[in-house]
Amino acid sequence: MRVFLTGVLGLALVAAVAGTWLAPYDPGAQDLALGAAGPSAAHWLGTDDLGRDVLSRLLAGAGSALLWPVVVAVCTMLLSTSLGLLAGYRRGWVDAVMMRTVDLAIALPGMLVLIVVVGVLGGGYGWAVLAMAVLFTPGDIRVIRSLTLAQRELAYAEAARTLGLRPARIMFRHLLPNLAPTVVASALLSFVAALVALAGLSFLGVGLPAGTPDWGLMVEENRGLLDLNPWAAIAPAALITVVACTATLLGDRAFESLSKGGLR
Amino acid sequence: MAVVKRLCSAILLLGVLSVLTYGLLAAAPGGPEHVLLGGRPSTPETRAAIREQYHLDDPFPVRYARWLGDAVRGDFGTSIYSREPVTAVLAERLPVTAALAGYALTLTVVVGVPAGLAAAMRRGGALDQGITLTSLVALSVPPFALSILLLYGFAVTLGWFPVFGAGDTPLERLTHLTLPAIALATAQAAIVVRQMRAAALDLAAQDFLTFARARGLPRRRVWISYALRNAALPVLTVGGLLLAANLTGSVFVEQAFGLHGLGALLIGAVGQKDIPVVQALVLLGGAIVIAVNLLIDLAYVAVDPRVRRRA
Amino acid sequence: MRISALRVAGAGLIVDGVDLEVSPGETVGLVGESGSGKSLTARAAAGLLPKGLRAEGSVAFDGREFLGARERRWRSVRGTRVSLLMQDPFAMLNPLRTAGAHIAESLRGRESRAEVARRLAEVGIDDPRVAGRHPFQLSGGMRQRVALAAALAGDPELLIADEPTTALDATTQHDILMLIKSVQAARGMGVLLITHDLRVAFELCDRVAVMYAGRVVEQGPAAELAKSPAHPYTAGLLAAVPAADRRLARLSGIRGSVPTAAQVAATCAFAARCDQATHACEEERPPLRELGPGRRTACLHEVRPRPHVEEATPPERPAAGAEVLRVTDLRKRYGGHVALGGVSLHVGRGETVGVVGGSGSGKTTLARCVLGLVAPDSGTVALADAVRPRHRLVQCVFQDPSTSLNPAMTVGAALAEAAAQGPEEGRLGVRELLELVGLPASYAGRRPAGLSGGERQRVAIARALSVRPELLICDEPVASLDVSVQAHVLELLREVGGSMLFITHDLAVVRQLADRLVVLSRGEVVESGGTAEVLDSPAHDYTRRLLASVPAIP
Repeated sequence: MRVFLTGVLGLALVAAVAGTWLAPYDPGAQDLALGAAGPSAAHWLGTDDLGRDVLSRLLAGAGSALLWPVVVAVCTMLLSTSLGLLAGYRRGWVDAVMMRTVDLAIALPGMLVLIVVVGVLGGGYGWAVLAMAVLFTPGDIRVIRSLTLAQRELAYAEAARTLGLRPARIMFRHLLPNLAPTVVASALLSFVAALVALAGLSFLGVGLPAGTPDWGLMVEENRGLLDLNPWAAIAPAALITVVACTATLLGDRAFESLSKGGLR
Repeated sequence: MAVVKRLCSAILLLGVLSVLTYGLLAAAPGGPEHVLLGGRPSTPETRAAIREQYHLDDPFPVRYARWLGDAVRGDFGTSIYSREPVTAVLAERLPVTAALAGYALTLTVVVGVPAGLAAAMRRGGALDQGITLTSLVALSVPPFALSILLLYGFAVTLGWFPVFGAGDTPLERLTHLTLPAIALATAQAAIVVRQMRAAALDLAAQDFLTFARARGLPRRRVWISYALRNAALPVLTVGGLLLAANLTGSVFVEQAFGLHGLGALLIGAVGQKDIPVVQALVLLGGAIVIAVNLLIDLAYVAVDPRVRRRA
Repeated sequence: MRISALRVAGAGLIVDGVDLEVSPGETVGLVGESGSGKSLTARAAAGLLPKGLRAEGSVAFDGREFLGARERRWRSVRGTRVSLLMQDPFAMLNPLRTAGAHIAESLRGRESRAEVARRLAEVGIDDPRVAGRHPFQLSGGMRQRVALAAALAGDPELLIADEPTTALDATTQHDILMLIKSVQAARGMGVLLITHDLRVAFELCDRVAVMYAGRVVEQGPAAELAKSPAHPYTAGLLAAVPAADRRLARLSGIRGSVPTAAQVAATCAFAARCDQATHACEEERPPLRELGPGRRTACLHEVRPRPHVEEATPPERPAAGAEVLRVTDLRKRYGGHVALGGVSLHVGRGETVGVVGGSGSGKTTLARCVLGLVAPDSGTVALADAVRPRHRLVQCVFQDPSTSLNPAMTVGAALAEAAAQGPEEGRLGVRELLELVGLPASYAGRRPAGLSGGERQRVAIARALSVRPELLICDEPVASLDVSVQAHVLELLREVGGSMLFITHDLAVVRQLADRLVVLSRGEVVESGGTAEVLDSPAHDYTRRLLASVPAIP
């Protein structure tokens, strides 16, 4: 199961890095005479209503669909881990200020904020990615902080302080490894959330110009073609679903095996 | 005391949200006049008229206070796109969204609660693993992708359900809303399943439940005063998560199924830069989230004497 | 009640053939260390095994078989015939219900305010307002009293008490035990007392059964068992129990660790750790043979009497060397709670000072102030000198072996990191540190998860010593360990010596280690002096109560 999951994700990442190069056609090339056609030897997944090759567009869109969520996940992980550790370990006013802010941010319905902010202010993926990192971080900060608070009271952490180790060493060398299962799992969850949110934004037509080869946008543009070439909408929808599920399951497994190996 | 404290923080939160919402107008590209003009020609006269009509020359706090005063009385101004009062536009769209949310919530509870309990009772068994895996998958499927897959499978290929629209008679409405409700309920049901399972497992391990049985208490008493009342606490927390999933989910599902509800209205308004409508929707959504979270907090206070005491 | 050939199994075998009988009016003790299967035997006897465990054999009340009975049939005897009192008073009561509601609901049809008050009075709660309180508003001892009243509300013929006092303070422990004893006598009911503490069993019970690795290895009248144990394990346990009234020259534990029931299914369970084991012990499982009236043992041999351990010559009081710690008028409050109300004490070089007190006495706060983990509100802590950093002057061994080591670090890495914090000159390597605490060098590569509780505490001691501090603080270092392991760790602490501040609630333990004692109550020093003087002729009332609560072996 684990091998299978890693395989799927690996394949997706290959497509993300080398997608444009692997694509059999120019993703933007139109063939208005052909129009929307079902799968054939020339076009494995058929064409959309402008006669553009669906497979090529999927491969070309893999990059932005997968790499931006990775950026969001990494940013979220770095931010939330360091801030959460700091708040939980230092406590006091640092913690108080951070937690009030976090409470406020968590009370907002994140996706709606994204739609409104990106929709009204405009500006493609850049803003969306930044907004997402900001929106996802508070929840993870809260989790990391509460785990840190619990860990720092344990005898091994007190012993580390008694040994006179530097706070940074205690936080990163002693506490962090014991939070690793949660850090890894929540990074994968952030990846999934970002993938789904970004695809969702383009599905809603928010943020991207029409015609961009993007999975979410393809679902939106081609959902009227369900009778002519269903693959044009089904394939990107299915791809998003498969990648999201795979990453979630992998996160779940990673959490379990890391907790078994590292903790206890 | 606890009630007052929570009420105050809810009002504070609502205040912050309203400032941010009103700030949208000022932050919109092109400035407020440009937005408020909509598609109308921009001449010095029209611009002056707009400035006059919306009191744009007043300082921000004054404008905000005026806007908030109107909003509290239910007046969010007129839609730039349709020129109708925003409140009327919202009222027209509300029934579809409410019906969809109600339908989805029913499905969520009817499927999620028993599935979660069944998984907990058969812990570690094949049924539990199946349910846990399914809920993980359901949790990560984006609602719009699920909508398309459902549409293709059940409406286009099998022809069991209509493809677009919300229907007119109550029965039609039910068939029209079934697929959207399933698409919306999937992620919510997954949340409920996971929370139910965790709550049940946690409860089963509690000493006080064993001690109640050890004293030979009647089964009904053990279930009601021990199991259900204590399980209510963790399950209550899920309410906030459900609501968030419902609000965001309905935007996508309405868009995917071509339903004319509030979610679709938001997308349309965002696309047309119809700021008054966006403001009203954001404030409405925020108010609902804050109100529900407040209710959950109050329910906690009612159920748990420890919370009552601490606050 | 009669239990026969009881077996409990989950993923592995846990209880393997237990026979036990409790007659009306009789108190029977079931004694065993952690992992012996005593608690699951108790649970099985009430039909309350956790999910995933199955029981075979027989559990009968008045000759009627109940094992495997449906829940409905069990319910008809629970509360009225048999009732179960559990260990943790903080988890046993429903947090959402009042104390009175717990009792009333178990009274079945006779519930009235007056009856609830009467039941509370029976367990020594005279204030009827307690009935209206929620569990979180009551102390541990009060909760255990309320739980006892609830367990007794159905007037059971047999009360199974599973470690009913382990989670409580020493003096409260004693009160609750005496309460169970008096209620038992007044009602003439049977009591099955599950405990890890031989002394408690001897003090309260008519008969005692000793469990080891899932089976009963010896049973008989309490007094006889205490005087002449007929199983080497019982003898070993008895020898490992420290005494509050004398300091022993040597503390002897039992080597090795407890096997699982499945590992020893076909041999004598104790053979691998027994000094008297012969080939025959490994051949087959020794039957529980009759020794005398009511006396049975699962040992093939006559148990050699343990060499009598001499009382230690009063340890030579070290010449008061330079002070390594002087605490002056230390105060600390948490909110409205006074943890330390002006504590002063000192430790001389080479001296071991015991700090004794119950929970809430401030003894742990004192340790944390000395270690610099907590800043005191006022008062001073002076260590050996003011030149070296604090961590080279004082180190600590913490209580809980399950968290005292970082689970993500190998033993070697943890020790090396700690040693690097000490002075460079004379720094000990990981191998030498392990050797110092009696562990093989191969342990360096292990993680804490692969170590037993006793081994973890040894590593924790090595970690503290690696810095070569002037003063070692031990905060309840053996409180979470089984008796047989506890003796080894105490002996190790005696060997490594040095200047020590030993914090504990256990007078018997502190008697074995400390030169001087400081008795702490509610954040104040109520008595201090030489260990023997304080414990042999206590001057303060609190010290006397502490002493009275230590059960003695007859």
